[in-house]
Amino acid sequence: MTSAERIDALLKGGSLDRVPFLSFILGFCAKNVGYPVAAIYCDPEKSLRAQVWTREQYGYDSEPFYGYASYGGFEFNGEIKLPDGEYEQAPSHKRFAVVKEEDVEKLELPDVKTAGMLPLAMQFSRLQDEHGISPSVVVGGPFTIAGNICIVETLCRWLIKKPELVHRLLRLATDHVLDVARYWIDTFGVGRVNIQIWEPLATNQIISPKQFEKFVLPYQTEFHQKILAIGMKYILCHICGEQNRNLPYWANVPMGDPGIISIGKEVDINTAIEYFGDNCIIAGNIEPAILQTGTPQEIYGLCRQAIEKGKHAPRGYALMQGCEVPVNTPPYNLYIMKKAVNDFGWY
Amino acid sequence: MTMVMDKKTGELIKGLYDAVIHMDEDTARELSQVILKEGIDAYYAVTHGLMTAMEKVGELYSNNTYFVPELLLCADALYAGLEVLRPHIKVGGAETKKQIVIGTIEGDIHDIGKNLVKIMFEAAGWVVHDLGKDVKLQRFVEEQNRTQSDVVALSALMTTSMLAMPKVIEMIKAKDPNVAIMVGGAPLTREIAKSYGADGYADNAGEAVREANEMLRRLKDKTVRS
Repeated sequence: MTSAERIDALLKGGSLDRVPFLSFILGFCAKNVGYPVAAIYCDPEKSLRAQVWTREQYGYDSEPFYGYASYGGFEFNGEIKLPDGEYEQAPSHKRFAVVKEEDVEKLELPDVKTAGMLPLAMQFSRLQDEHGISPSVVVGGPFTIAGNICIVETLCRWLIKKPELVHRLLRLATDHVLDVARYWIDTFGVGRVNIQIWEPLATNQIISPKQFEKFVLPYQTEFHQKILAIGMKYILCHICGEQNRNLPYWANVPMGDPGIISIGKEVDINTAIEYFGDNCIIAGNIEPAILQTGTPQEIYGLCRQAIEKGKHAPRGYALMQGCEVPVNTPPYNLYIMKKAVNDFGWY
Repeated sequence: MTMVMDKKTGELIKGLYDAVIHMDEDTARELSQVILKEGIDAYYAVTHGLMTAMEKVGELYSNNTYFVPELLLCADALYAGLEVLRPHIKVGGAETKKQIVIGTIEGDIHDIGKNLVKIMFEAAGWVVHDLGKDVKLQRFVEEQNRTQSDVVALSALMTTSMLAMPKVIEMIKAKDPNVAIMVGGAPLTREIAKSYGADGYADNAGEAVREANEMLRRLKDKTVRS
């Protein structure tokens, strides 16, 4: 099967030849082909080329995409800086739009055609379309976006002391990502756009399950319901970090039929199958830090375990990293994932 | 008369303790002022009221009863009390405070974990030299040289940034072989910390002070035996 056939079969519940290998990979691709890491985010043509060439070299099945974890800050009039140092891998916050209470009322919904990095993201998607790649868009979940608009420590304090301000931020964040989704669907057509929704801030390393239920669940559910209703092709929902106590709530968030749930090392694949297996393809969960510092033997062993656990998941499974492949991952360590899929992933 | 005063002292200290546990900044501030008016020793109030409460908060955070929002608000109550009481602590005595240099490593702007660790060390009575975030490697060396701290603590959330850790550990140890270095952050593990040359590793802010003290004890034992 070609990669496109494999992904299509995975999504349609058809027969697969082997477990698909998806890659959460951005800055690594730039370094791999000799571009600066920043090019992934500020030069759509170079970004696509770097990702297409790296995919060709390492043989994973997933397609190139454009996105970064601090999305939303710049779009709501904060400032970001592009990665430019030896130890930087992605755009990072330089100034937050919301620092104090009064800043919340000044916020306005961004114009999705002009705000922040959205013009570059759209340029990337047009290039995807021109190259026969399914157009995609990447956004944070509303809670992660709120934490990109407002300093996270302040947001955390407001969860308890000023919940009304948090709800205002979440309302704006949800309306914004709905606008983005609509814009992409209006541009490329119903049933043609797939979306990645990254929700790392909802981890229990930051908030409690009760806070998840109150502040994350309603907005995340609304977002997913509405974008599925307007014709999003599929959702890949990335929930890295310690999310085990949130899983009973995540299990009730509509992901599509099927959706793809991408998990980090903290959530065991068997646990993910228990909560999501009936509705979602499970993707994960190879730890990026191990990719960077581990031996090929360690990584091979982890991949083997993951494949053996996930291979017969009811709606399907894909081997994937638990979060972004580090820029300085030893190339052989990434290759080893493909080797593992070839050795253990055939049906 | 003494018993009544002791009982009142006990109630005020307990009230201060509860104010921190219950994230009540205003009560912590008010009770601290009452404590001073009553002539209760400020140092006693800080150690038995505020610091003891923050130790409990650390436990609640480690056992997943409290999370980051609660820990931050408890810290706000602690600092509200400290602001009132600290100027009245009688200076002197033989006790030397332990010192720590802390920062988020170069290339990394995530500092919430580092800030929580800083709170726990301050609450435990350490002198904290906080370098902030995205700290250039040489800055850690310079600050350690300037302060001669007992511990240097390095934080990273990004896998790319954590690669700077073995480099800076080597740089610090080259100038000051006796300093204890601990690391923490989501992509790190105890095994990775050891492979980087760190002397200690803390899984979360609630464990950090205990790990630092144990790390210092381990290093002292090693020195005595050699």
